[in-house]
Amino acid sequence: MKEEQITIPVFVSVDTGGTFTDFVCFRNGRFQVFKYPSSREDPSEAVLKGLEQIVPGCSLRVIHGSTVATNTLLERKGAKTAIITNKGFEDILEIGRQTRSRIYDLFYRRQNQLVDSKLRFGINCRIDSGGRRIEELDRRELTDIVKAIRAHGVDSVAVCLLFSFLDPSDEMLIEKAMENSGVEVSLSCDVLKEFREYERLSTTVIDAYVKPVMRRYLKGLSDALGEKMLSIMQSNGGRISVKAASRQPVRTILSGPAGGVVGALRTGVKAGFDKIISFDMGGTSTDVALIDGKLPLRTDSIIAGLPVQVPMIDIQTVGAGGGSIARFDEGGALTVGPQSAGAHPGPICYGKGCSEPTVTDANLLLGRLIPENFLGGAVPILKEPAERVFNNLARLWSMTRKELAEGICTVANSNMERAIRVVSVEKGHDPGDFTLVSFGGAGAMHAAFLAESLGIPRVLIPEHPGVLSAMGMLLSDVIMDYSLTVMQDFSLFSEEDLNSFYASLESRAIGDMRDEGFMNDQLLLERYADLRYKGQSYELIVPWSSDLAQGFHAAHQRAYGYCDREGEIEMVNVRLRAVAETDKPSLECCKIPQTKDPSEAVICERSCVFDGVTVATKLYRRSLLREGFELEGPAIIAEYSSTTVLPPGMILSVDSLRNMVIDCTGRR
Amino acid sequence: MDPIKLEVFKNKFISVAEEMGYCLSRTSFSPNIKERRDFSCALFDEQGRMVAQAAHIPVHLGSMPMSVKSVVEKIRMRQGDMVMLNDPFSGGTHLPDITLIAPVFTKDGQILAYVANRAHHADIGGISPGSMTLSSSLFQEGLIIPPVKFVRNGLVEDDLLQIILRNTRTPAERKGDLSAQISANLTGIKRFKELVESRGQVVVTNYMQHLNDYSERIMQEAISKIPDGDYSFLDYLDDDGFSTERIRLKVLLNITSDQAFLDFSGSSDQVFGSVNATPSITRSAVMYVFRCLIPESVPTNDGCMAPISIRTRCGSVLNPRNSAAVASGNVETSQRIVDVVLGALSMAMEERLPAASQGTMNNISIGGIDTTTGRSFSYYETIGGGTGASARADGEHAIHSHMTNTMNTPVEALEFSYPLRVQEYSIRRGSGGRGHHRGGNGVVRELKLLCDAQVTVLSERRVLRPYGLSGGEHGKCGMNTVIKNNQKTLMPGKFSTHLQSGDIIRIETPGGGSYGSDGVTLTE
Repeated sequence: MKEEQITIPVFVSVDTGGTFTDFVCFRNGRFQVFKYPSSREDPSEAVLKGLEQIVPGCSLRVIHGSTVATNTLLERKGAKTAIITNKGFEDILEIGRQTRSRIYDLFYRRQNQLVDSKLRFGINCRIDSGGRRIEELDRRELTDIVKAIRAHGVDSVAVCLLFSFLDPSDEMLIEKAMENSGVEVSLSCDVLKEFREYERLSTTVIDAYVKPVMRRYLKGLSDALGEKMLSIMQSNGGRISVKAASRQPVRTILSGPAGGVVGALRTGVKAGFDKIISFDMGGTSTDVALIDGKLPLRTDSIIAGLPVQVPMIDIQTVGAGGGSIARFDEGGALTVGPQSAGAHPGPICYGKGCSEPTVTDANLLLGRLIPENFLGGAVPILKEPAERVFNNLARLWSMTRKELAEGICTVANSNMERAIRVVSVEKGHDPGDFTLVSFGGAGAMHAAFLAESLGIPRVLIPEHPGVLSAMGMLLSDVIMDYSLTVMQDFSLFSEEDLNSFYASLESRAIGDMRDEGFMNDQLLLERYADLRYKGQSYELIVPWSSDLAQGFHAAHQRAYGYCDREGEIEMVNVRLRAVAETDKPSLECCKIPQTKDPSEAVICERSCVFDGVTVATKLYRRSLLREGFELEGPAIIAEYSSTTVLPPGMILSVDSLRNMVIDCTGRR
Repeated sequence: MDPIKLEVFKNKFISVAEEMGYCLSRTSFSPNIKERRDFSCALFDEQGRMVAQAAHIPVHLGSMPMSVKSVVEKIRMRQGDMVMLNDPFSGGTHLPDITLIAPVFTKDGQILAYVANRAHHADIGGISPGSMTLSSSLFQEGLIIPPVKFVRNGLVEDDLLQIILRNTRTPAERKGDLSAQISANLTGIKRFKELVESRGQVVVTNYMQHLNDYSERIMQEAISKIPDGDYSFLDYLDDDGFSTERIRLKVLLNITSDQAFLDFSGSSDQVFGSVNATPSITRSAVMYVFRCLIPESVPTNDGCMAPISIRTRCGSVLNPRNSAAVASGNVETSQRIVDVVLGALSMAMEERLPAASQGTMNNISIGGIDTTTGRSFSYYETIGGGTGASARADGEHAIHSHMTNTMNTPVEALEFSYPLRVQEYSIRRGSGGRGHHRGGNGVVRELKLLCDAQVTVLSERRVLRPYGLSGGEHGKCGMNTVIKNNQKTLMPGKFSTHLQSGDIIRIETPGGGSYGSDGVTLTE
């Protein structure tokens, strides 16, 4: 027994969330799932305590998705950071793209700046757009700047010079001058070798801003666990070592949601669906991603009001969740959100002081939320105060309590429907071609209604929907992304030119992957190119092929509905993605037993409201549902971390992977 | 009317307009539409009243409905038709903005609704590239398209298309953008028909009406919070680019209960240069200001304007006679109309409104032949500035305000594409007015020409400063400077000149006005 524990490692993923830290543990071919209350001050406390619950003495392989970098940025609690850039361009980060995100706000202000105007240093030096030096770096000036930075007690410096991706030598000189100063340095030519100075600077500043905090956090964890045992989830859907994550923490900025998308993709594909809309509804917001067979990436994400240009999973966040507050506005419409009761105080039924109706309260009063089941009974649910508030408000608007509750759910669904339409239509897709993969605590109460109104044919609810992000981390590979702006007419590049660009990226990738413990033959190196027609100001990422131009025309046709085969093509960036497959648990199919009859999984019968009518509704326990079972709605399926609502007449079946699949094409 | 259905239909109608917008930006070709989002899409009821709009640029707000109304009144549309126009004197704004309108028919041949979209085309002919120029007649500004059928029975009128393409410097781009405009309308028609099929015609028609009533109620509520009375405000445009005469913009605002009446007839007579603005621009600017008084989530529709009446005097700069030059009315005059309407409102409730923002868009265009490639180039952009302070807070620095919100061109993108080098791009410190709350600072943008080129600047607030409120200092004026061999020449607000390789053009944009007098200054 002891021998086995040493030779076969136990895989554990840990996903830190606002309220709970989720654990998924894979051992002896089985998954074990649990939640532990998050520790707000020091998130590693909950991580380590939870890991203690796993049998000691095991050889652990831990994959961790942390919110440390995100929260540091959102709460503006990062390091005292300075910028060094070209003279005359010190304010680039503050000016941004000179636009405002709310056009009807007469009092519009940007979010707080990460770098104080006194800590933005300009230095005389300049490279032009052809990579030619037109002004030497002023070394005396540099010495003065280094002195000033030390005098100000700065912790971290972001260096971003114009066109440094064409010639990084000045940035490297600055790094050298900062050596032994005890200050962390992030160079834009390391973080992101791409043009558009504001986006590159912003990415570099975020890296510098979170780096000291993230290093301290990761050091604490790896001291306790052993550095080799721990890897960190990145926002691009892959994992990396602690060492790599500490070097460039900006790559981990949205690791939790990325885990969810990886989980939705892996689960969906295994179940036979590769066109997926992932739907993760939480307390304050809902994350939606459109997955067309592979991880959707974007290089123009905005986090906490700032652009992050490193590749990240493309996720849209909607301000609607279980805690969203319902109100009647001045024009007499029932609105839901964007105000939210969040986790504190939470919905009325938490009994912690919220006095306005939320989506969760509405679900409770409709009988769709089972109080004794809510997180295994860990959070007590109070029905009476919610009833009182709903009664009073409903009376004011001459409706019944149930009408109000059902109305709140209808409006919440309609908000989410609008967001999902945007996500699909923006990319030229019809939601009707997709499967909705629903996870998170609240999603499965709304998913079937939502799918029906969007014309989505089916909903898939994976096993353990409450911890799918952690599950995705467990199923992730090691992934590294590299890019370089080359900016030239495509026709002017020779084959040798192109190969030499990719070779430079590949040698970096091979070196980095060696540090991660992978040899050349274990790597999948995917080449891409960012191309556009001359005159356009946005580019498309196209997979490498022997006829790249043809590939671009086709990609343009697909994405925008037309192409111009005569048009001149401009090559903007070369891009490389290095993937090393990890040892990971596999999702096993089970044999489908003969019976479809689910009656053995029924716990009891409840009264629930659907379309204004109270109907007897069977309550099932998910853990008792076996492969091949078929249920007809109305039904509620309860499990540890989630509740599924099956509307009247819809059919739910359990597949061989224990996913629940709801057919939304028609009601019986 | 059911409060739940009202909210659901609000989402559904806005969704139709939004989906048209995503289709338009996705399938359009030019950066101006795709990246700068200089377009709008909207849904109208069977009488041509706007129900919902997806707008990225406020200046399109109130003007789209005027285009649609003029078309609904004049042209009988059949199934599969789409009408096009850009004529500023038929509900348009300026010539580069092309509007395309399509009816939605029921199965038994009745018009149920209209969908429409408007997009800013980068060139529509005229005397200079980009069609933004120091003009003195509409005929110099480009091709004028009165309301005409561009699509008939599902087919594009090819003769008309050929005329349009022959009249622009960038025909391929125009063709791409026009087909994107057609696709956007087709998307809108399809989505609206689906809505009618799933919800029923009567319900959908009723809720189009309810949604207009809803926005009207909310606007009435907002107006009723403004103290009743007459308020008047006067401000000026610096000049029209041809003479140095100030151009007066004056509003008399009357608030009675939940209704507002704005009379602009005291404004100057129409002028020779291109700062004349058609009534649809005044309507857009007024609608923008009042739209800011109600929540962002309220649909922008005709209901918002129902409690508001506007009067402009025929022959004035805000209601010019046919064929007057109007190219800058959309970009510069619209900003000053906002200044005077906000100014009048601040007489009623100073504590709820900001001081003047930069009040210009600082349009700069540079065109010529790139000597290293031998190709012609044409660069155009607008530059942000300071915004006005308020009782709540300071103004913001270096950002677009009010009627525009288009992005800048990144320094590295600009230098890759044009024979220009950016020497400075920074916040213009000290340009915002000083006061209890200081105005936002403007921008410094300095460009060096790497080959000979024609430089045109259309800017305002170079003579008269953006006003402060409640005793606060005014923002600083903007400045346009040309530097030749270290020799600085101060240029006027509007000019077009030929410069040589090595010459530098430096634009310093205005700061915002401040709010309240500066305590420190007073005690000194």
